[in-house]
Amino acid sequence: MITLSYYPGCSLGSSTDFYDRSLKKVLAFYGVELKELDDWSCCGALAALTVNEDLSIALSARNIALAEASGLHLVAPCSACYARTKAAALKIAEDNDTRRMVDNALSPLSCRGNIEVKNIIEVFLEYVGLERIADSVSHDLVSIRAVSYYGCLLTRIMGICPSDDIEDPTGMDTILMALGATVVPWQYKTECCGASSTITNGDVTAKLSGRLIKEAVRAGAQAIVTTCPLCQLNLDLMRYLGKDIPSVPVFFLPEIFELALFGKTSGGARHIVNTKNIEQGIAPFREA
Amino acid sequence: MPEHFFLKEIEGITGVAVSECYQCFRCTNGCPAARDMDIVPHEMIGCIISGERGRVLSSASLWACLQCAACSIRCPNGIDIARVFAALRRLSVESGMAADMDIHDFDSLMVDSIARHGRMYELGTVIRYRLSRGEYLKEYHAGIGMVRKRRIGLFPHNAADRKGIRSIIKKTVKNGR
Repeated sequence: MITLSYYPGCSLGSSTDFYDRSLKKVLAFYGVELKELDDWSCCGALAALTVNEDLSIALSARNIALAEASGLHLVAPCSACYARTKAAALKIAEDNDTRRMVDNALSPLSCRGNIEVKNIIEVFLEYVGLERIADSVSHDLVSIRAVSYYGCLLTRIMGICPSDDIEDPTGMDTILMALGATVVPWQYKTECCGASSTITNGDVTAKLSGRLIKEAVRAGAQAIVTTCPLCQLNLDLMRYLGKDIPSVPVFFLPEIFELALFGKTSGGARHIVNTKNIEQGIAPFREA
Repeated sequence: MPEHFFLKEIEGITGVAVSECYQCFRCTNGCPAARDMDIVPHEMIGCIISGERGRVLSSASLWACLQCAACSIRCPNGIDIARVFAALRRLSVESGMAADMDIHDFDSLMVDSIARHGRMYELGTVIRYRLSRGEYLKEYHAGIGMVRKRRIGLFPHNAADRKGIRSIIKKTVKNGR
């Protein structure tokens, strides 16, 4: 049994709680337990960063302080939470002025920035492993032709050597292959979905996310797989915000695990683009 | 303002060596927002070096930037261009020259939501933003679709130590940059 500290973040705490449940269910299957940070708070995402950089670091520092007290590595499934928390931890560990600023803001809490922050691709690769993943598959996913979509924030954290290639990450691709899905190559793995422009300038998101879906279809995919809750929502919303955009279901990576292990997702009904066409083609392997 | 002052000001605030730019255009080539910009990223860096403070701080490009950091990661000289854009946004608001206040206002409402709840209250923040813009029915069909699929939190999910979180925000917004 492995226990990791867990920072769900605001999306997985409310609008995307089916991702939270799916992730916990799948990791529990492999003997990885997630221990949620007690009374975690919002990292401020990119909003706090552009309003005031100290604010962004101090908001992340509060969660880092909570995680440090647990002594466990920290998992953050949301790309914004992951990027902000990881960047803040590095800055706090390396820069004394930042550490003083943070300790003053957090008092009576204190934070050393001395923590490993992991995204879920890293968790699956490091704590479960491709061989165990491949051995555990009981349902045939070869009919799923999918592109893996990492989004912009996952590998682009300045000053940090990412565990995957910045321009052409492959971690999620190898996991999907181990699960038996048909992974379709494409050029848009790390292109931006439009992020929070969906609220302030919907045309930007419609253009960027719409292009991602069209390119996925052009590459021959029937599904998109991601780990970021905002990317998933923006792509899923193209049914409403896009014009002439094909309907392509967008799965979270743990949902593909659910299909491979249990034959169906637990949160399929929460998708805006129906997942049934994909899910109904999934059947258990026949005993040889 | 003599030109090198603006360059020094930006390099001082960001800690980024803007002057190392040799105008290779890689930042602009990979920028997903460049088509919506009046001054594209490599030109923006050039304008900072040549001291065009007013033109830079009033540029719509600052608000077209998506902060995706493709530019920063690809810069052969390690210039964190996205960080420079974020700093320019703050300066442009402070100096009253911002071409567009939508993003700043929405970001401020998000920070305010954290101050109130400790966590993002999505629906409340979006409604406050739409009301502030008089956009009562904008994209309502998407909103209804999201509510039906429970893809937007209808109620706040509060953290317990809201007082502590408010204090973090107060201290850093007052003293920080």
